[in-house]
Amino acid sequence: MSNPASSLPAPASEQIRKPPRYNSFRLQLRDNLAWRILAAVVLSMLCAAALIALSGHNPLTAFAAMAVGAVGSPHQIGAALNRTTPYLLAGSGVAMCFRAGIINIGAEGQIAVGGIGATAVALIWPSALPELAIAASLLAAAATGAVWAGIATAIHLGRRVHEVLATLLLNFIALLLVKQMLVRPLGQFGAGFLQSPQLPAATRLWRIPEVDAHFGIVITVIIAAGLSFVLWRTRFGFALRVAGNSRPAAAYAGFSLPRLTWSVMLLAGAVAGLAGGIEVLGVHRRLIEGFSLGFGFKAVTVALLGALEPMAVIPASLFVGLLEAGSLSMQRQIGVPSALVVVIEGLTMLFVLAATVRRV
Amino acid sequence: MPSLLEMRGIVRSFGALRANDGVDLDVQSGQILGLLGENGSGKSTLMKVLFGMLPPDSGTIVFRGHELSHHHPAEAMAAGIAMIHQHFMLIDAMTVVENVMLCWPQAGRVLKTADMAARVREASRRFGLDLDPDALVASLPLGRRQRVEILKAILREAELLILDEPTSNLAPTEIADLLTILRRLRAEGKGIIFISHKLPEVLELCDEVVVLRDGRVSGRAPVAGASRAQLAHMMVGRDLVRSHVPPHHALGAVRLSVKDLAAAGFGPLTLDVRGGEILGVAGVDGNGQIEFVEALAGLRPVGAGTIVIDRCDVAHASVAARMRAGMAYIPADRSATALVRRMSVAENLMLRDSNHSPYAKGPLLVRGPAVAKALELMAEYDIRASGPGTVVMRLSGGNQQKIVVARELDRAPAVLVAHQAAWGLDPGATRFVLDRMIALRAAGAAVVYVSSELEEVLEISDRIAVIANGRFAGETPRAEVDLRQIGIWMAGRAA
Amino acid sequence: MTDLLAAAIRIATPLVFAALGGILSERAGVFAVGLEGMMLTGAFAAVVGAWWSGSDLVGILLALLGGAAIALTVAVVAVRFRADNMVTGLTANILAFGLTSYLLRELAGGGGRPIAIHLTPLAAWPIPGLSDLPVLGPLLFAQPPLTYLAVLGCLALALFLNRTQAGLTLRATGENPEAVFAAGGNPMRVRMLAVIACGAVAGLGGAVLSLQQVGTFTDGMMGGRGYLALASLIVGRWNPWAAAAACLVFGAAEAFELRLQSFGVPVGSYIVQMAPYVIALVVLAGLGRSTKLPAAIGQPLQSD
Repeated sequence: MSNPASSLPAPASEQIRKPPRYNSFRLQLRDNLAWRILAAVVLSMLCAAALIALSGHNPLTAFAAMAVGAVGSPHQIGAALNRTTPYLLAGSGVAMCFRAGIINIGAEGQIAVGGIGATAVALIWPSALPELAIAASLLAAAATGAVWAGIATAIHLGRRVHEVLATLLLNFIALLLVKQMLVRPLGQFGAGFLQSPQLPAATRLWRIPEVDAHFGIVITVIIAAGLSFVLWRTRFGFALRVAGNSRPAAAYAGFSLPRLTWSVMLLAGAVAGLAGGIEVLGVHRRLIEGFSLGFGFKAVTVALLGALEPMAVIPASLFVGLLEAGSLSMQRQIGVPSALVVVIEGLTMLFVLAATVRRV
Repeated sequence: MPSLLEMRGIVRSFGALRANDGVDLDVQSGQILGLLGENGSGKSTLMKVLFGMLPPDSGTIVFRGHELSHHHPAEAMAAGIAMIHQHFMLIDAMTVVENVMLCWPQAGRVLKTADMAARVREASRRFGLDLDPDALVASLPLGRRQRVEILKAILREAELLILDEPTSNLAPTEIADLLTILRRLRAEGKGIIFISHKLPEVLELCDEVVVLRDGRVSGRAPVAGASRAQLAHMMVGRDLVRSHVPPHHALGAVRLSVKDLAAAGFGPLTLDVRGGEILGVAGVDGNGQIEFVEALAGLRPVGAGTIVIDRCDVAHASVAARMRAGMAYIPADRSATALVRRMSVAENLMLRDSNHSPYAKGPLLVRGPAVAKALELMAEYDIRASGPGTVVMRLSGGNQQKIVVARELDRAPAVLVAHQAAWGLDPGATRFVLDRMIALRAAGAAVVYVSSELEEVLEISDRIAVIANGRFAGETPRAEVDLRQIGIWMAGRAA
Repeated sequence: MTDLLAAAIRIATPLVFAALGGILSERAGVFAVGLEGMMLTGAFAAVVGAWWSGSDLVGILLALLGGAAIALTVAVVAVRFRADNMVTGLTANILAFGLTSYLLRELAGGGGRPIAIHLTPLAAWPIPGLSDLPVLGPLLFAQPPLTYLAVLGCLALALFLNRTQAGLTLRATGENPEAVFAAGGNPMRVRMLAVIACGAVAGLGGAVLSLQQVGTFTDGMMGGRGYLALASLIVGRWNPWAAAAACLVFGAAEAFELRLQSFGVPVGSYIVQMAPYVIALVVLAGLGRSTKLPAAIGQPLQSD
């Protein structure tokens, strides 16, 4: 049996660092953290600029084209906001999971099945109750997303499979499930490719007229704010944060780790499922295959960029949304492949990870 | 004759704390030097500097005539210094011979396992170590594991062995065996530095003693002719152990009643503790203490038996239910269990009580009263930090432990279970913890004080039980304590 | 039947390389979540390298370098900077995806269209004598070169881990890096080298798919193989031969599923395609957590 002291740090004398100067209730280094993340973003943009220059283009004109493509017109801003919405929703859910120490990368699958749920309800919703169509579809989306996350949680907790593998493998299965659904129950007979019939007009998400974006962005900002409130101002959020810091401490504090895991996973699944529903109702107006591709990793990206704080995930996902919206016109006008945006995202994440490691 | 090792003017600081403040040390071949000092006196730091695990701020080290500077353990070992760590640096999942061969060039690029196994057997026979090269380290008792570390030192032909608190994990018979092995090594001309805070062992084994206090050498003397009192005074500047003060009040009713409690790693155990009484549980670490204590506290499942607090059986209740029943728990693992190091003082003070007032109203947390409460506790328990928002990992071990104690005691518990409550604390902080135990006793609570430090147990306990091999080997009231008998009880676990 | 086995071997070979690389990384204590990106980069480098230089060997060497390069980012961020292993691996996968897609288009002069490279897949190298055996001959002994290399790789890894000082040190680093430091080793260096080696070997796995089997590179062509390889090495308890066997099982599952599709089975074809992933989940769930998991995996190294 090992000495309990073997899990203690070296005597306290060796662990004292410079004394701090904070009095706020909230945790350490929040301002410092923001600067570091900003530095990471700038550094990755510089690397991207180097890549652009190496291939013979002018980085400044490329970035200018990207900016114009992102915010050049109200319509383009709307497109950027539409892109931001699923990233923000899924990202804030993932951020909550990461805070609790659970690495949930199943957002992609949860979004996909959320789309299935929304489509199914939208198609069968009686036309006599148009007012409730949107709410019902979105509720179904959230519920299916939660169920999908629940399956991963059951496997993880019940059979002690690492949550990364469980959620990841379920992503692949979910994508295939969407395709299968589009063959039989939800498919549009006679269409050349896999898609569902167009959803009834009653399920069309309200639009914000000036920028031609759908209402989803408003819903998601409210939800992100709500999640932040839960994280910092409720007992549940406190329990999550303790669990993410130290599992033994959470057990000692009287929190039930399985119950926390279930709660946060179902929450994240519901939120991601909702994102899927919003995509289907607001953007595509039908279920199409592969509509959720890549969203899971984007969720992790914006969660990290936002330092796992749902309120900060708002600007982070906006940044990513703008980047992507602008990258297409950059590709059209300057010829720099839009895949550069993915490179920027990857580099930014790497630099953020390196810069924001908390010392033990 | 030149010394085997000469350390001069070693200085090493951690922030504002001077762990070593100009220390000189000499060791000769064929000599066992005792390095004596309280927790926090700088012994471990000095040895880490010697072994190359930490660089000194200033000072020189000359070993066998060559200077050692800016070195890593690899170079120290190549020069002939070996360190037997307090927390063994072994790979549990591997065999003895694999552990010996690790990072040792002589074992060859392609491992010469058979040759090495033969050498292990030979050295083991010669020094009486009784080690089987193909045994898995995980299957060895702690005393044998320590011998694997010694074996490594011997095979690498170390001339100087440093043993850091080597007896903290051993039963009395194992300790005797270890001392025999060390004398054999001395006879072969090795130099040995024996680090300890236990006076009797140092007096029994060592040729010369150096005493450290607050980072400085406070005394140096050959063992022959030195008295216990003299050395104790050099160590702490005061008498080492306070005598036990019996309680001034009458004992109350039984508040904690444990019957036939058993689970993986211990049992069955039975004990009764009354209000206003401290039951000390002594014993060598690794005899089922952590399993017992965590089963009491609700962190491990109970196999059989009952735990009754004030007539409420909590054996199968949750941690939260036990707290409601009046149980407080101070875990041994301060850094990862008792505290969340990255959270603030205030958040740690409310760690176990976040579901009721003053910290919460319904599902929501309330800030104002929480901060006020934190300030109140910080004042009452003298927790030194710049504010309630200070992150706990910046605090000293003593202040961290004060947070744990403050939190548990503020609940005015019926029962307190404390495990290694003064571990790794400097004398001032240790005094604080022990005083609070006594104060809690005066308030009428039942205290179970589990510790491997016999002096602490002797000082504050009204009754002492000894745990060995997961059972109580014996129990005695403090007034009738016979140290020899306690040693025999503790030795229930053989090497 | 032999068809099925041949297909299983074909599908499993890239997985085997990735699993071998993953074992190196995980037994040294770093979760190998970045296998997907390492394979992808290796696949890209192999095809582009072979196309640009005209030599398959150059392609293979570049696959090693490409995989190692992405692994270097994981090594630096996860080991040197002590970031979370899993998230760093995922990030490396994202970066690899973006970088390969970007470069594929830049090679075509920019814009949205990727360059079209069509190479002849590698030919089989029949072993004289053995390849004439009935049934087993063409199946086992008339394979393209990298497939033989995969088998040799299992042997080499097993010998390395169990019979060499370097392998012993690597395993020890995954169990207790502090002990390695106290014994005079350098756990950080061991972990970084292990991760880079993992990348090189996994890159080779990517080259098997792109260079040996298909002859071209398309965006994200690994399609989750890296994660299946990760599942295989866990199922195989971090042992090279057992992991290879697990890869073969997954390969057989996919081969079977492809056959099923051509028979017009009433089960939806997409459901059938789920087979490898479902099997992986079921097997992992069936096995639960293993005691053979390297004790210190995923734990950041102590700072001095």
